This record gives sequence, structure tokens and C-alpha cells, in this order.
Amino acid sequence: MVSTDVGVWIAAFFTIVATSYAFRDNIFFRFAEYTFIGAAAGHAIVMGVKNIILYGWTHIAGGEPSYWIPIILGILIYTRYHPKYYWIYRYPIAFLVGIGVGISIRGAIHADFIKQIAATAKPLIATTPLGTLNNIIVFVGTVTALTHFIFTYEGIHKGAAGWIPKIGRWMMLAAFGGAFGNTIMTRFSMYQGRIIFLLRDWLGIIH
Amino acid sequence: MSAWEKLAALPREIVLTIVLIAMIVPAIRPFGLPIMVGKMSKDWYNTVDSLPEGSIVLFDIGFGSGGYPTLGPCAVAALHQMFEKHLKIVIMATALEGSMMYPLIMEKVKPEKNYGAEYGKDYVFLGYIAGEQTAMAAVLGDIHTAVKEDYYGTPIEQIPLLQEITGPESFALVAYLTTSGGIAEGWVYQAYSRYKLPVVGGFLSMMTPSLKPYYDAGALKGILDGIKGAADMEYMTRHPGDAMRATDILSATQTIVLIFIVIGNISYWGSRLSKREGEK
Repeated sequence: MVSTDVGVWIAAFFTIVATSYAFRDNIFFRFAEYTFIGAAAGHAIVMGVKNIILYGWTHIAGGEPSYWIPIILGILIYTRYHPKYYWIYRYPIAFLVGIGVGISIRGAIHADFIKQIAATAKPLIATTPLGTLNNIIVFVGTVTALTHFIFTYEGIHKGAAGWIPKIGRWMMLAAFGGAFGNTIMTRFSMYQGRIIFLLRDWLGIIH
Repeated sequence: MSAWEKLAALPREIVLTIVLIAMIVPAIRPFGLPIMVGKMSKDWYNTVDSLPEGSIVLFDIGFGSGGYPTLGPCAVAALHQMFEKHLKIVIMATALEGSMMYPLIMEKVKPEKNYGAEYGKDYVFLGYIAGEQTAMAAVLGDIHTAVKEDYYGTPIEQIPLLQEITGPESFALVAYLTTSGGIAEGWVYQAYSRYKLPVVGGFLSMMTPSLKPYYDAGALKGILDGIKGAADMEYMTRHPGDAMRATDILSATQTIVLIFIVIGNISYWGSRLSKREGEK
């Protein structure tokens, strides 16, 4: 049975209109596009104000004056629009970058370097033949792909060892192919959700 | 224009219509293809399954409406398993729209009705916390300083579940689902690298190749790989939902895409061959 819910009809309208762009650009699609941008911007502003209240003002009101510091730093970002004092915005940005890097770098070194090197530098012979094959592929792929990015020594690309970075390039191309296949799957899996919505929630054809 | 070139110049409207039909037909009449549970999903399931009853899990909704068709079913199935195991769940959102996804997910899980869970005691929702990695570090480091109230405005002193959390060691597991690479890496850096907490992650399929090295290195205990991971979880938890239906749709559409790739290649090589013959 077709839905009688106005919200479902609005959602169905925007789903169909958004899909129509895949066939041809049209005024209805642009209406949907602008509506989405407006709604998303409105939501972001509300969430931003809510966050300032929840994670800034609540603390200040609770007797923690140190929370004025991030609020002042946040306000200073807007000095970039001032023709004379625009340089001040660099300080809160520097603060943000410093905090961001400081927080992430410790974990990144462990997870992205130490653990990855440890996971790659394991014995080639595994308990199963398939495991051994996997280890060999990982080892060959890592070493050859790394050699592809050696730009300071031309001999590695042109000399007798030129086949090594070439294998690395093929390894990367295979990885890009895999990533592209996954991208297609992701896009379809996103859209199938809307198809199910249209057929079930809107038209009531499926249950 | 040669016949080969005509083949490559197939109007996109026709291609899209065929793809749409390939989506609609299996949605109406599912093929019922078998689900082959992947190792990464199985590892997520087993990690959660191995937790003792009453363990506290930090669950992050790191996606918005764009990721909901894929990660929504993941969240529903994952929470079904956690509530079934009587785990205590602290839910937060690192994505701006995450707090809008929470009611959609809980509407399907129905923790009170299905599992007799009680809000505040067995689960709590903190809402969106801005800052991505800064938010993760703050919540794990000292949740009582980072958060003053839950999503509904209840002060955290009045929430029994949050009183049980004394530090990062209170969390037995960090589980997250996200469409953002920054959030995906962030939880590995903050929860696993810094506090050595077990972490499981769910992503869009297109993100999985770049994040799988964390799983191979043991930093992620399990992965839900998009809609496929969601279907695996629905199958393992015996809560069939949208993801299991989606596998048929995806199988059909992927087959169509494969056919078009083959057609494109035949057309390309065919026109190249005919050009060469023409030059001779």
C-alpha cells in the first residue's frame, strides 16, 4: 500500500529528483540540491552553536574560566576577514594544527609505522600454503612498490634492476583496480538503500 | 562510426536504465543467493562474542545520511549482538549527522522491548562530540571532563552507566562505523595505539582496502566491510534486514557492471584492431 505519510512522500520526491541528474541536469534536481545544501548548512550551524554551549559555555558557567581560552581562540579565527588585523588568525590556526598533530602523531607512529613494518616483516613460510602465498605477495608488493618511489637514484628505474619498480607499479595498479571495484560496490550499496525505501516505505510493493 | 565505436557510445540513459532495472527486480523478487560470511566480519562477531556479560563498549556512529544505507544495517546488526550479549553500550557520534542517525538505528534495535535494556543503565547516548581525534582522546582519557550531559540533557552524574567508567581501561571494546578516513584512523591511533584497547571498525567498502592493513597488523580485531559486512552480521546474529536483501541487488548490479566493462573492452580492442587493419 502506498504510504500516506507526507514525510515519506517528500523523501521519495527528493530521491527521484536527485536520481534524475544521472540522466540529465534539470531544474528539479537543482531545487533538491539547493534544498539539501540549505538544510545541511542549517543543521551544521545549529550543531555548532549547541557544541559551543555544551562544551564551552556549560564549563564556564560551572566555574571553569580556562574554557574562555578556546572560545577566544575561536573568535580570533574570524579576524582573517579584517583587512588590518587578519594576521591574528594565524595564532588560533597554529594552535589547532599543533594540537591536531600532537594528538594524532603518537598513535600514527605506532599504528602506521611500527605495526605495519612488524606485520610486513614476518616469515614468508606460513602454516598453510595459501598463507605462504599471501606472505610472498605482501613482501614482493611492499618491496617493489617502495622501489617505485625511489627518485633520487635513477639507476633503479633504468638499469638492469628496472623490472623491480615495474612490478611495483603493476602491484599498485592491481590495488587501484581493487579499490575501484570497492568504490562501485559502495556507490551501488548507497543507492540500493534508496531503491528499497522507494519500493517498501513509499510504494509498499515489498515488505 | 564503426560498429565497435557505436558499442562504446551506448547512451548513458540506457546504461542507467538497465542498472536501475537490475536493482529493482531482485528487490521485488529476491534470488536468495547464499551468504558467505567473510573472515573480517566473523572476527568482529567473535571479538564481541568473547566479551563477558556487563562489559562496557564504546560505540561510535561516525556516519550521516549518506552512509546510512550501508552502515545503518551494520549498526543495527552490531547493536543487536551487543544487547543480546547484555553488554553495556556508551554510544557517541563523531559525525555531525550521527545524532540524527541514532534514532533511526534504535527504532530498529528496540533495546527496551527486545532485550529489556534500560536507558542510562545499559546504554547511553552522548550525542555528537566535535573534534574527531580530539573528541576521541577526550572521551577515552576522561569522559567526566569531556562530557557534562548526555544527548537529552541529563547530567552525567545522574547516569549510572557513566559512573562505572573510571578511565580508558573501563572500556572492554571500542566499536565504530564511519564514512570518514580520519575517524577510521583516529580510533586506531587513540584507542589501540594509546590505550591498547581492542578496536573493531566498519567502513564503506571503498575505504576497506586502505584500512585493511590495520586489521592485518592486529590493530583492528574485526572489520565490517560495507553492506557485505552488514549482511554477514545480519546472518550471524540471525536478524535478517536490509543488508541481506541488498546482497541480491548488489550481485545483480555488479554483474551488469561486469558485462558493461567486458563490452567496453571488446569495443576498445575491436576498434583498435579495425583501425590497424585500415592503416594496412
